[in-house]
Amino acid sequence: MASSGISTSSVSATENSDKLLADLHVSYIQKLGQSKDDLAYHLTSHLRLNAIYWGFTALSMLNKPDALDREEMIEFVMSCWDEETGAFGAHPQHDGHLLSTLSAIQILIMQDALDRLDVDRIVKFILSLQQPSGVFAGDAFGETDTRFLYCAVNALSLLGKLDLLDREKVVEYLQRCRNYDGGFGSVAGAESHAAQGFLIMTFSSIVFTCVAALAILDRLDVVDVDTLAWWLAERQLPNGGLNGRPEKLEDVCYSFWVLSAMSILNKVQWLDVEKLSTFILSAQDPEGGGIADRPGDMVDVFHTHFGIAGLSILGYPGLVDLDPVYCMPASIIEKMGLKKGYKNLERKAF
Amino acid sequence: MHGIRRVRQTQEERQASKRKELAKIEEFNALTQRILARKKGNDWSDEAFQLTTKLLQINPEFYTLWNYRRNILLKGKFPNSSPEQVHELLEDELSMTMTALKVRPKVYWIWNHRMWCLEHIPKGPASDGEPGADGWKQVVWNKELFVVEKMLDADSRNFQAWNYRRFVLASMPTPRSESSELAYTSKKIEANFSNFSAWHQRSKTLTSLWAQGKLDESKSREAEFELLRNAMYTDPNDQSVWMYHRWLVGTGGGKDVLEREISAIQELLDEQPDSKWCMESIVHYKRLLLNNYAKDVDTQHLTRDCKDLLERLETLDPMRRLRYRELAGEIGPSTS
Ligand SMILES: [Zn+2]
Repeated sequence: MASSGISTSSVSATENSDKLLADLHVSYIQKLGQSKDDLAYHLTSHLRLNAIYWGFTALSMLNKPDALDREEMIEFVMSCWDEETGAFGAHPQHDGHLLSTLSAIQILIMQDALDRLDVDRIVKFILSLQQPSGVFAGDAFGETDTRFLYCAVNALSLLGKLDLLDREKVVEYLQRCRNYDGGFGSVAGAESHAAQGFLIMTFSSIVFTCVAALAILDRLDVVDVDTLAWWLAERQLPNGGLNGRPEKLEDVCYSFWVLSAMSILNKVQWLDVEKLSTFILSAQDPEGGGIADRPGDMVDVFHTHFGIAGLSILGYPGLVDLDPVYCMPASIIEKMGLKKGYKNLERKAF
Repeated sequence: MHGIRRVRQTQEERQASKRKELAKIEEFNALTQRILARKKGNDWSDEAFQLTTKLLQINPEFYTLWNYRRNILLKGKFPNSSPEQVHELLEDELSMTMTALKVRPKVYWIWNHRMWCLEHIPKGPASDGEPGADGWKQVVWNKELFVVEKMLDADSRNFQAWNYRRFVLASMPTPRSESSELAYTSKKIEANFSNFSAWHQRSKTLTSLWAQGKLDESKSREAEFELLRNAMYTDPNDQSVWMYHRWLVGTGGGKDVLEREISAIQELLDEQPDSKWCMESIVHYKRLLLNNYAKDVDTQHLTRDCKDLLERLETLDPMRRLRYRELAGEIGPSTS
């Protein structure tokens, strides 16, 4: 969405801040819902519910959960319910999908409004998406991949319905996804005859979805931690940022996925945490707020959320604790009795 | 958003671009409402189908529209069509998505629709040589493999294309032989050793060939070590090569293989004394000797070697110093 033909000045690196610009990020997120005269706002309606989850989680990390109106948010979530599929779409009148359904569940839990959910129908929808191989599709038409598997396991766990899932089958599928590097691929090897999906995501995000799903299922024992954490640690580049796989550029969102997987594996210390924190902070927009994929790029709510979530794992002063498995405030997950054995860095004082 | 530079706009510039966008927003929203209203009314007409084409050209990420489009095909078009016509309709979908991918190659939903189309090609004879009831299927899947391999020729490290290629290979009515798959990864690896996806695909193919007894495991493993030796010398800074080596060592071979590989890597290290990957690998394999063959090796000597190397790694690669320190701690005391 670069505006072509308009004379503009590029942003110089010297403007970068070494402090978290919390107030600016709050107002950046608040303004997102008011950008209805932006074409980009309308072109991203298929991600609206996910965007609300990203924005709201970021605000919660910043200890400003009230910066968006609670009632309005809950009403919007409920207006995304798709009666035909029995699931939430990303926007009113859009089809129900697993990705947006997870966002809806997460938002309602964070707003303490789970009573608004038709839990039985949602559980039925999620379970209907599991394939004979154990993996999940995103909707009735969709192809399968481990990202959807993570969403399904996460959602069922949040709804307290994990015991309805054939766990063994899921774990078996994840084990078949293991690569020679101790990590995971997006689809199991070619020995399976079931329809195979493929995933447009880079490697570290796949690792995260697999590791987090196994953590929820209490089956991290199938992970070769030393090899996988070695591979993840080598994702850190000299400027402190992390990439998704070898030979690629660093990025705030991959930085988060590697970091949260490392936290779940108790290996955050294998990274240079100071440099990583500096990298994330350098990707802030010091004028308009928000965080970009890397310094000097356009910000968006996705990278703003992953940047702040990453800083929370790194113990950045003043931020609220994040649960890296569920990517929600740690206190909420703990209260629900779902906390796993991850290890974030201790919160630093200002 | 990835890789889009941030630009500052003046107030006037911002307002001018907003004015320009306004008309587009109105057009987009009006079209969206028209289509969603038809969808709500279970309208499976060709007119509705054409409208989805138009809107998907503007926004290929609108997954609800792809769903609607598939429903129109399934409920409106296919029931009144002969297998030949269904085949044709799906061929049209494949060209439509190919055009869309040329503009937006990373949009998951376009690929998703393409996979659905491929999977719904009906049974039917092919006119161009492929015999049998799966003729049509075989022709489209062959074509698809050709398309994805062309993408890999353009960028041999395109991770998405490698993944998609795996999907295509697994879905073909007549599967390609795994030996030719092994040859394919050889070609890609020899063109560029630094190719994580190709090494990964190779490890999967070999595992399967070995398990089925189609390849002599120990002979083939030796050939892989030979290939790796080449790769290490050509591109010693690529982690995928070392990862693959670690995997290969882990598939079998005993103390002899470990010792032989350690001395081969040591030779390379002598030539390139700052090679982090050589040191990392030597430590790993010496630790394997310590853990698995403690009775038959000089444990004190090996322990000291590992500790020395890990200390050098701490200085050489300070970002990961705590990892090296942790590994050293796991080895235990080296004093005699
Ligand atoms: Zn990113």
